[in-house]
Amino acid sequence: MNHNPKLPNNELSTIYPLDHSESIKVYETKSDVDIWNAFNSGDEIAFNYIYRMYVTVLFKYGCQMCKDKYHVQDCIQNVFIDLRRKRGQLNEVQNTKAYLFKILYRELIRKSNKSKEEVHQYPEKIGKNFFIEFSQETKLIQQEIQQEKIEIIKIAINKLTCRQRQAILLLYKEGMTYTEISIAMDFSEVKSARKVIYRALATMKTLLQTKSENEV
Amino acid sequence: MDLFSIYNMKYKDYDIDHFITDEFFIQWIKNPNENNNHFWEKWIEQHPEKRPLVNEAANLIRSVEYANDPEFTDRMYTETFEQILKADNHFRQLEAVSPTKISTTPTKNVNYFFFVRGVAASILVLFGLWAQYQAFNFKPESVEIPEIALITRTNPSGQKSIIDLPDGTKIHLNAESEIEFPQEFSADIRFVSLKKGEAFFEVQKELRPFWIQTGKAKIRVLGTSFNVKKIGTESLQVALVTGKVSVDTENGSRMRLEPNEMLVIEDGGKYQKTDFDPKEVIGWKDNYLVFKISGLPEIRRKLEQWYGVKIELKGDFDEKWTYSGIYKDEMLENVLRGICMTSGMNYKINKKQIILTNPK
Repeated sequence: MNHNPKLPNNELSTIYPLDHSESIKVYETKSDVDIWNAFNSGDEIAFNYIYRMYVTVLFKYGCQMCKDKYHVQDCIQNVFIDLRRKRGQLNEVQNTKAYLFKILYRELIRKSNKSKEEVHQYPEKIGKNFFIEFSQETKLIQQEIQQEKIEIIKIAINKLTCRQRQAILLLYKEGMTYTEISIAMDFSEVKSARKVIYRALATMKTLLQTKSENEV
Repeated sequence: MDLFSIYNMKYKDYDIDHFITDEFFIQWIKNPNENNNHFWEKWIEQHPEKRPLVNEAANLIRSVEYANDPEFTDRMYTETFEQILKADNHFRQLEAVSPTKISTTPTKNVNYFFFVRGVAASILVLFGLWAQYQAFNFKPESVEIPEIALITRTNPSGQKSIIDLPDGTKIHLNAESEIEFPQEFSADIRFVSLKKGEAFFEVQKELRPFWIQTGKAKIRVLGTSFNVKKIGTESLQVALVTGKVSVDTENGSRMRLEPNEMLVIEDGGKYQKTDFDPKEVIGWKDNYLVFKISGLPEIRRKLEQWYGVKIELKGDFDEKWTYSGIYKDEMLENVLRGICMTSGMNYKINKKQIILTNPK
């Protein structure tokens, strides 16, 4: 028996939006480094694979910091165009997903910095990003938890700082390791990623505790 | 135990904290594989009392979702992929077009080449090759049309025109302006090139995208009407009336415009977005000649363009003097009379030669 209580609609279905292609078959057993090197040396199937694997998750992630989905689409386009242009001179990448998340994040910041209005709105914008929702697809949760309690948690979690929410989403939604989070969030050390998560959860506890004490 | 109490637990119970911060556990939930399945199944077997806790932790981890969750449609997926490959091809074509230029550039700085030389040098060539790429890539059967006949329309000063394109798009071409477009658009794209001057586009909405090349910038139309003005060699002004356009600049930025927004790109790439006075910016297409706090040089330029005349200035003119006024379908003489009345200048018309004098 498999104890891993899988959701009915598996995560993988969102990773492969179109039909599996030859590229998937060729590359699914290879390591990120191998695939990246193949891409760097001009292998089109490797590029195809990378695009197929990550473009959708990149889009969803990008939309957490920018409401304009077409702008996110443009930034993703730029990221890939740039990578293709630099083929032959790309540095080795150990973790493709985390690396792509990082460069998309940078591109979105760069682009928002470019126009004056955006710069003005910037601090506020950042604070409003990476909001978290709790899916209620899981039956267990629906049975045991009332709507209002989920709402309370949702309010508390969205009171965290933007960076904390970003890290939480990378950890739980994207299923990244701390190493991957530190790459995606441009931290120089892995322990910074751990720290952000620990601090976020500690804050959550305090927020919920205060809330429940007030209710008593 | 419920989700609320998980978070609400006192520090005495570290179990749930441990689970939801343990990456090996999270990896099992999010990216199960043989390895972590084996470990956790065994662990639960040995610690059956922890099963509810594990389930709660797993549910908590799984329930975290993005609040903003727009769909990346199949269309966006394909569109993005095509754009990426197109840019790539674009770039390669440019390298192929001017091989001598590459060899004279010792540093082989591709970016420098791409932005500074390539595009500015050969817009027409770029279009031709690109169109072939399009045909090759997306519509193999159209390869039998080897060359696309291009039509150029040029307006001298003093003359405006309206061009109706086969797709239903209407272009108002201002005086001293030039535009180029294919006799027939390809099956995949509508592409015109504003060589100089100013044009107002009323683009017919349809499936094929509409692109306007102006110098180093490319304007992508998403169904709409707007005004494009190419000032000098580099600078560009795009004013949007309805619909949506995006502008790709030479340095790779893409800006989107909303209705009533105007984008001004100066020489050197600096740009700003502003709102605009429609009469002032696009009045010309309805024969409104508009001066809005205009200095003499601007007035002179506008009149020369509008009426196809040469204006000579005689005497000293106050640089701070400005003039505002609107004329519709007005004869040159009436406009000159209006300007001179408020300024104290005199005018003299000799066929296409105008002399403005300031007696003061």
